[in-house]
Amino acid sequence: MTSTIDTTGAKPSGEPDSRRGSSLLRAQVFLRGTDFTLIVIALVGFVVLASTTGGNLLTGGTLKAVFQYLAVPILVGLAQMSVLAVGQMNLSVGVLTGFTAMAAAWLMVRAGLPAPVAVIAAVLLGGAVGLANGLLVVLTRINGFIVTLATMTVIDGLRYGVNGTGTFQNYSSGLVSLGQGSILGVPNVFILAIAVAGAVAVFFRRAVLGRQLLASGGNPFAARLSGISNDRAIVVAHTLSGLLAGVAGIVVVALSGSVNASIGDDLLLPSFAAPIIGGVALTGGVVAVLGTCLAAFIVRLVDVAQAQYSIDRSWVDLIVGAVVLGAVLITQVRTGREGRRK
Amino acid sequence: MTFIAEKIVKVFPGVRALDHATLRLEPGAIHALLGENGAGKSTLIKVVTGVYKPDGGRLLTTAGDGTMTELNFSGPLDAQRAGIGVVHQERNLVPAFSVAENIALQAVPKRHGFVDRDAMRNLARQCLDRLDVQLDVDRTVGALSVAQMQLVEIAKALAVDSTVLLLDEPTASLTGDEAERLYTVVRSLRDQGHSVVLVSHRLEEVFAVADTVTVLRDGRSVAEAEPLAAHTRDDVVTLMVGRALADLHLDARSVAKDAVPALELDDVSTADGHRDISLRVQPGEILGLYGLVGAGRSELARAVLGLGAITGGTVRVHGKPASIRSVSHALQRYRLGYVTENRKEEGLFLDQTIARNVSVTVWRRLSRAGLVRGKDERALVDRYKDQLGMRISGPMQLAGQLSGGNQQKVSLAKWLAADCDILVIDEPTVGIDVRTKAAFHELIVGLADSGIAILLISSDLPEMITLADRIAVMSDYRIVGELDNDHRYDKTSQHVIRMIHAEIAS
Amino acid sequence: MSAPTQESDAMVTTADPGVGTDAPRGLPFWANPRFGLLVVIVVLVIVFTSLRSSFLNTSLTLVPMQQDVSVFLVVGLAQLCVLSLGHMNLAVPRMAAISAFAMGWCYQHLSVPLWLGLLIGLVVGAAVGALAGWIITATGVNSFIVTLALDFALVGLVSLLYSHVGDGVAFPVHPAGMTALRNDTFSDYCAGNICGPPVPLIVPIALVAALLVAVLFRLARVGREMLMTGSNLRAARLSGIPTSRRIIQAHALSGALAALAGFLLAVNSGAFSADIGNSFLLPSFLGPVLGGTLLSGGAVSILGTVLGAALTEVIRTGLNLLNFSVQDLNIYIGLVLLVALSLDRVRHVLAERRGTRA
Repeated sequence: MTSTIDTTGAKPSGEPDSRRGSSLLRAQVFLRGTDFTLIVIALVGFVVLASTTGGNLLTGGTLKAVFQYLAVPILVGLAQMSVLAVGQMNLSVGVLTGFTAMAAAWLMVRAGLPAPVAVIAAVLLGGAVGLANGLLVVLTRINGFIVTLATMTVIDGLRYGVNGTGTFQNYSSGLVSLGQGSILGVPNVFILAIAVAGAVAVFFRRAVLGRQLLASGGNPFAARLSGISNDRAIVVAHTLSGLLAGVAGIVVVALSGSVNASIGDDLLLPSFAAPIIGGVALTGGVVAVLGTCLAAFIVRLVDVAQAQYSIDRSWVDLIVGAVVLGAVLITQVRTGREGRRK
Repeated sequence: MTFIAEKIVKVFPGVRALDHATLRLEPGAIHALLGENGAGKSTLIKVVTGVYKPDGGRLLTTAGDGTMTELNFSGPLDAQRAGIGVVHQERNLVPAFSVAENIALQAVPKRHGFVDRDAMRNLARQCLDRLDVQLDVDRTVGALSVAQMQLVEIAKALAVDSTVLLLDEPTASLTGDEAERLYTVVRSLRDQGHSVVLVSHRLEEVFAVADTVTVLRDGRSVAEAEPLAAHTRDDVVTLMVGRALADLHLDARSVAKDAVPALELDDVSTADGHRDISLRVQPGEILGLYGLVGAGRSELARAVLGLGAITGGTVRVHGKPASIRSVSHALQRYRLGYVTENRKEEGLFLDQTIARNVSVTVWRRLSRAGLVRGKDERALVDRYKDQLGMRISGPMQLAGQLSGGNQQKVSLAKWLAADCDILVIDEPTVGIDVRTKAAFHELIVGLADSGIAILLISSDLPEMITLADRIAVMSDYRIVGELDNDHRYDKTSQHVIRMIHAEIAS
Repeated sequence: MSAPTQESDAMVTTADPGVGTDAPRGLPFWANPRFGLLVVIVVLVIVFTSLRSSFLNTSLTLVPMQQDVSVFLVVGLAQLCVLSLGHMNLAVPRMAAISAFAMGWCYQHLSVPLWLGLLIGLVVGAAVGALAGWIITATGVNSFIVTLALDFALVGLVSLLYSHVGDGVAFPVHPAGMTALRNDTFSDYCAGNICGPPVPLIVPIALVAALLVAVLFRLARVGREMLMTGSNLRAARLSGIPTSRRIIQAHALSGALAALAGFLLAVNSGAFSADIGNSFLLPSFLGPVLGGTLLSGGAVSILGTVLGAALTEVIRTGLNLLNFSVQDLNIYIGLVLLVALSLDRVRHVLAERRGTRA
């Protein structure tokens, strides 16, 4: 598990005086790492799926849909990963996505605000809720699981409070065409998700604040001795998580053209599945942006396979559950073996 | 810059841990801080590094021109900012970060809110170069060996210009080669003008490396920054142990030497690395197992209890070969109990009542139709409360609210309740004040007198000499000698210490 | 094994001096969360009754409330069993669902009597729970992840089973006794002129379950050893407790109780259907946590769980009568949880402060 950061962070070519030995070593670490395994699974899965469906997967519309609907799982996975980085959990990620989506639609339909304002406001709303989560955890010293369980319930209610069970539609056509559009065949929302993932990766890899979060999650004692506030790290991580959920909400609004309060119901479990399969530990101190994205892609492939073969939808959950269990077992076996080698 | 901790007093409820102890550190010197367990070394270190606030005395630095500055630490961070670096025993590193980032963690070079990686690597390399250590700064710390992690910690202290560097038992988990390399680094630090404080039990190493020495005994400094060259090893040992504490003096007890041993190890080797271990404990006898930290004593006890693998030799209980699979097997089948050294983490359930803590081992016996009655539990507590002299408000008090000594009694009562006839008692009086300690010693002797065979593990030599009937000395996972204890402190202590150091020297 | 808690601040400043005080620190009675819960319940009942007199209407409110509380109480107990270890069981909903499937299938196709079907369901639940416990002990993976993944897998499995083995989404079967269990209260059974109280027949089932769990954790060796395992795993192992077996047993019991909850819900709603258990996750934590059971393990409160489940139901029913929408209920229930926990914290801090000064 601990190698995850190094493998994603290591840029063998980036360092002018890197000795050949160490870059070779890093290549080995990478080949043994979670990311490599996930890349292989993703590629094999994609190729198998593409060939067994007789190339149907590669036709423009289908391929576009594969990546369009990958954006939200990536974003909620990253939102969960951000709090896992400091050893916290955020159970409110799913409902918060739904709430911000409803809020954005309400701002456009009912309050008549222009789309850009609504979008920014919804993202900020997500951040504010995340900030509240973080402050509650730090101020009350109650376990983060319980705090976000409670806020999840509250937000769930708020989500329906916006428009009951009704649907918002016919909001900003510009936003929707932007959301459903693509550049050079790549869906815009997917580009957005990848750009956000890149920003999150840079944040955790390079930004002082991001490193402080990871230091706090990895060894709170050492972090404190280095003048890093563990409380601040928790608040920042929850705020970031909320912001990312807000972005996910916006993507839903832009992509689907109509939203109702049930959005987010089925996002909580995937939000954990992506980072955990991607190699993030619950204990904190480790993030894996690439792993999270790849895991989200693999889960999406299961979804696609279900649609392509018209299999019972239930298989998706069964398989994803089995994959998560398998992933933790493999990680456990591998770290166990490495531990013995030392 | 000279650093002085002057006449430091630190009082804990019931104990005067430091009583006007003085530590004076000159630049460009390696300073050994010595003392038996419980003499106040770790308390002094915690005061100097800002973890504890002293109840008396002051911390000063004097610059070259004689100006004095008084220091006031409100936390470890302050001490670090004042230039006092510690190599913590609990590793003060972020495992998922690179060597470079760990070294630079306190003062991350940044540019526009981002980590300046090149500057960070350069800083780390500079620090490592000053130590003359070759280490890839991009490696993940979690993948390093313990010895390498220690070097990283030292480099980390250098990164914030620590003028004083505290090394607490730095070689406890290092091999001989690794220790030698570490001391090369330490010497070069001294030559660069740092003051290095070395806390070590290994006198050989101290004499090979250190320039000056402070010896603590009972919270007082009995030698203050004296040049080590003026002392022989025997002097230092005498200073450390002083007169044996005015505690109970026991006559040699008579133990039936020809009885069937309650516990006997015959040429036992373990997966942890013990070789050819042969020991025997008669019923009613206290066999002391003495050795330095890291000699492998607790590990041996754990292997015997089924927590580690025994790979060769025979373990006999009451003369019959025994293969013990687990603690519960040891308890149910062989009536063998283990009072752990680590009472907070392994001995007690701090958030549970005393009644539950004491009776946990005997629920099987107390229960009728699978149910345990609270009355029986409380009766058990009442029995051992008197026998062990526990000071508690009642059986429903939580174990975490007790003092160290009383916690240890609860931990012991658990095994007495289980009706063990062989007890392994590991470091029974660590962190316990002197008076309770004496009461505890009487207790252990009383247990032996009642016929229990006791294997006593301790690093506290006076304690060992007070209690044991025979002393086996362990060093580096082997038994290096065994002697009958005549309870005469001067002679026996010299004998035991020589046994160990002869072994280390060879 | 529990979710990480906030201990970072205490780590440096309270570095242990090795010596503590021996002063007994009993907390005053008002620091007991159970007492606070009881007060809140009483106050809410008074408020709701004064706003809507129908709150105390027997058939309209009280009987359904008792039925719901029974289900949520058992759901809470299912979670409480693993909380005793410091674990979590996120698969409580689906353990209930798969057991409900097993029960429905047996009633439908084997025409087994009501009690036998229930027994089979309990065994299925226990087996799934034991599987979770076994994976946790064998791999050392956090219980949160294991049960989360198991829940995922079971979601799929349950709906596959219903669509392939079963007949769609529900078993329409009503074994003998089920209707009575659903509709009757003890007031329907009279001996001469004396009839029983208006208590639904399923209430005693839930109460017996609660009583058994209470006996287990308070008196039985096995339950106490589970608590000790949750309190300090290493010390438990060194005290001769077979910790792995206790972990598996606690999870198995959790599964069995989830199955019982599934049965009770099926009885209440009249069908063994695929959506049984869907609403169980939040209530499973609400009851124990409101009642003062910690996530860190080592202590449980069964009475607290009863009160916690009752409080949630009082709020739900009361707001319902005041014409709040189902969704608005969630806001208030979540806020109540937050406020209750924060107050609990404040109360504890105050009590400790008073205790140390005294």
